[in-house]
Amino acid sequence: MSPVTLRTSRDLPPTSRSLDTMEWNHTGSWRFLRPRYQDKVAPCAEACPAGEDIARVQMLLAQGAFDRAWLRIREENPFPGVCGRVCSHPCEAACNRGEFDAPVSINSLERFVADHARRQGLAPPPAEPADSGRHVAVVGAGPAGLTAAHFLRRAGHDVTVFDAREEPGGLLRYAIPAYRMPAEPLAWETGLVMSGGVRFQPGRRLGEDLGWDELSRFDAVLVAVGHWAPAPLGVDGEDLAVDGLALLEDVRRGRPPEVGGRVAVIGGGNTAVDVARTLLRLGAEPVVYYRRRLRDMPALPGEVAELREEGIEIQTLLAPARIAARDDGGLDLALTPMAVLDEDGGQRPRVVPSGHPEIAVAVSAVVTAIGARPSPGTPAAGLDPDGSEAVALHLRRIRPRGEWAERPPVFLAGDLVNQNRTVVAAIASGKEAAVVIDAALRDRALGDAWSAIRVGRKGAVSLNRLAGGDRAFRLDHVVRYDDLNTIYFQYLERKKRPRITLDERRTGFDEVHLRISASLALSEAERCFHCGQCDHCDNCYLFCPEVSVRRDPRAETRQIDYDYCKGCGVCVVECPRSAMVLEEEPR
Amino acid sequence: MPIDLPPSERMTSGHLACPGCGAAIAMRFVLKGLGDRVVMVIPACCWSIIAGPFPYTALKVPVLHTAFETGGAVASGIRAALDVKGDHETQVVTWAGDGGTFDIGLQSLSGAAERGEDILYVCYDNEAYMNTGVQGSGATPEGAWTTTTPTGSPKATRKKDIMQIMAAHAIPYAATASIAYPEDLVRKVQKAASIRGTKFLHIFATCPTGWKVPSEVSVGLARLAVQTRIFPLYEVEDGERYTINVEPKGYLVDAYFKAQGRFKHLTAEDLERIQERVDHGWSRLEALARIA
Ligand SMILES: Cc1ncc(C[n+]2csc(CCOP(=O)(O)OP(=O)(O)O)c2C)c(N)n1
Ligand code: SF4
Ligand SMILES: [Mg+2]
Repeated sequence: MSPVTLRTSRDLPPTSRSLDTMEWNHTGSWRFLRPRYQDKVAPCAEACPAGEDIARVQMLLAQGAFDRAWLRIREENPFPGVCGRVCSHPCEAACNRGEFDAPVSINSLERFVADHARRQGLAPPPAEPADSGRHVAVVGAGPAGLTAAHFLRRAGHDVTVFDAREEPGGLLRYAIPAYRMPAEPLAWETGLVMSGGVRFQPGRRLGEDLGWDELSRFDAVLVAVGHWAPAPLGVDGEDLAVDGLALLEDVRRGRPPEVGGRVAVIGGGNTAVDVARTLLRLGAEPVVYYRRRLRDMPALPGEVAELREEGIEIQTLLAPARIAARDDGGLDLALTPMAVLDEDGGQRPRVVPSGHPEIAVAVSAVVTAIGARPSPGTPAAGLDPDGSEAVALHLRRIRPRGEWAERPPVFLAGDLVNQNRTVVAAIASGKEAAVVIDAALRDRALGDAWSAIRVGRKGAVSLNRLAGGDRAFRLDHVVRYDDLNTIYFQYLERKKRPRITLDERRTGFDEVHLRISASLALSEAERCFHCGQCDHCDNCYLFCPEVSVRRDPRAETRQIDYDYCKGCGVCVVECPRSAMVLEEEPR
Repeated sequence: MPIDLPPSERMTSGHLACPGCGAAIAMRFVLKGLGDRVVMVIPACCWSIIAGPFPYTALKVPVLHTAFETGGAVASGIRAALDVKGDHETQVVTWAGDGGTFDIGLQSLSGAAERGEDILYVCYDNEAYMNTGVQGSGATPEGAWTTTTPTGSPKATRKKDIMQIMAAHAIPYAATASIAYPEDLVRKVQKAASIRGTKFLHIFATCPTGWKVPSEVSVGLARLAVQTRIFPLYEVEDGERYTINVEPKGYLVDAYFKAQGRFKHLTAEDLERIQERVDHGWSRLEALARIA
């Protein structure tokens, strides 16, 4: 911009009045610090084992862009309708809003988006043709196997999923009760995986209807058959007890057992809670016996709370000692009172018999839910630390030795390898499997690539980052509460999840949690701080003393005009959500 | 909730304020609150320089640069001239620093207020004579370093309460405002502009250079001044009716003082005394607001 210049006295105006603005004066040359827009990692996204772009999803939701929010989740996780129901949601525990008032209801919102997508019949963009020429076998159609299959197919491979049962879903379909995970939303999401080009072969049980001769014709094999074998109780009369997982499966297959009267449920995990609540709905009077204390139960706290609301009794510090048949057809369950031995070390304390006399209870049945073991047919080498090696956080590979030297690379994922056997950890495992197998099939070493595709420091993998999407350009800094300028946020109550009545819950298998309304979803999503994500609030623009933030309201972009920006940094500090950085000016 | 301000922009880039200048931010917001029909009077102050040298200007409104002590008088004259022309709509706005308001311009301001001139007098307060290199003014707070109140003997007296002085003139509208609360600020500008008579706006405007603070905290520090009750946001109508506009969180004053180089010599006892003073001032203000 060339300014008006006065060369001779004749150029002077009649009075001393200004003839031009100051815009000729490029004050950018004063700058020694440079502000820059820079999206960062939100703590929720870091904490999500599936690496969902949660902060961005909330932003889209708050804008009413429900379809885009759904697609955004599906970039990282093909199962929002599943996770919106059964996820342990570590995202909420990490949510910065928790330090302000209460965490954002991320889980309810995920469920909302997924239900919205299903009701609207949204379709993901069609998959590219499977033109890599490579064929992958996935054994086990649970969350790990299907997630791997979905992303491998998207990566251009031909994928066949085998499962012992008729329908895909694994424990989501055949264990978790319908009041938590109804069949329909699951079938819709597994259906999308299949319509994306994944082949499904039902009724193929590894080691029975599916052998290694057939699997060896593939270029890679992923085994994700989960834990379905019951763990032994190790007490006399244990064959009189019923396996909890088998009971849950019977119910989900529409063959509920005849039950009534007092039924003892042994265990303290999610399966025990699922079994007890299922028994209640079938008309029995379940009592949960757990060897440790209430607070030590590994089941999700929310599930335990709902179980107690439904009036189910939990008796703690009692371990089964013996089961014996009674003449009236019932059972006698003898229980040993336990005492906590030590608090320190590990999360769950050790317990030992307290020395108090045994307790005997008369029950109509005993159901065990004390954990499960790898399903039969799982290759022993894969579970053996010598026979296999960890190739990612949730993935093992069988060492190509002996008979395995002749076979394609074989990987194990899901509950078979996970310490933390949650659905979302299985999905995380499936994602890692897809990344590793794709790289192996393309003869690409991953090496340093891991750090570039993980989200923060907790190990979640982002396929958006892998593909060089927008998340690849985020600064690898996790936004903490102190990074935020919380003065710009107001206290807003966390929305409660609506539920069906207690009576309905006690007598039927209807889904307990209802979908939140669109208006509730909008206002809950508005609670999100959008940590580290520019949401165009315009504070940078408004507070700039140099009027040097340029907006293009249509394209919704902000740009700093470095011709004038003096580098004061006010914009960076006034950004409520830490979506900017202030750096030394490059010389 | 995003901050909602009028989109109009009557200040240009390229001006000569220091990085992070609160007076520049204040000017931008005030212009957003005023319409097109404005004549601005700027007595000697930083803004005499910031706006740029002849023949340039960073302000897209008519401005008269005038002598240091004349803010109230020149505005009165322009008002009279406009009235003679039959123009009763154009707002005459004086834009003066704290030195030009609390000290040397006090008589002309007082005269204008006493006559009830229909003008809007804006004092942007950076708590010293900044343009000439940080000399202490009547607005410099107790305990502050300036070049005329050096660290060895910092400002011994208290900041003048200009709002009480203006309230004592029983003008229709006087209000405090802060660059950290732009919506409140713009609302007050608009309200003042809608009232006939003498209106006075006292705007807190951080001076990173003179206060020895990093430029990026400019707005944050102004916010802290409000939240610590050091600079409460309130309005006084007809010299009587007090309304507090922002309920401060009531943080201890330490956070505000410790952030600034100009206060770094203050001892714990000094801060305790200042805290008492601030608490007293706040309860007095609350009492006044209750009467109204
Ligand atoms: C009568 C007179 N005395 C002194 C000056 C020099 N002078 C110009 S600006 C200024 C300081 C103004 O201080 P303030 O009103 O607080 O505005 P600031 O510079 O801080 O923005 C001084 C002393 C002058 N212009 N006229
Ligand atoms: S406030 Fe939003 S972005 Fe921040 S942690 Fe919580 S959900 Fe994530
Ligand atoms: Mg001053």
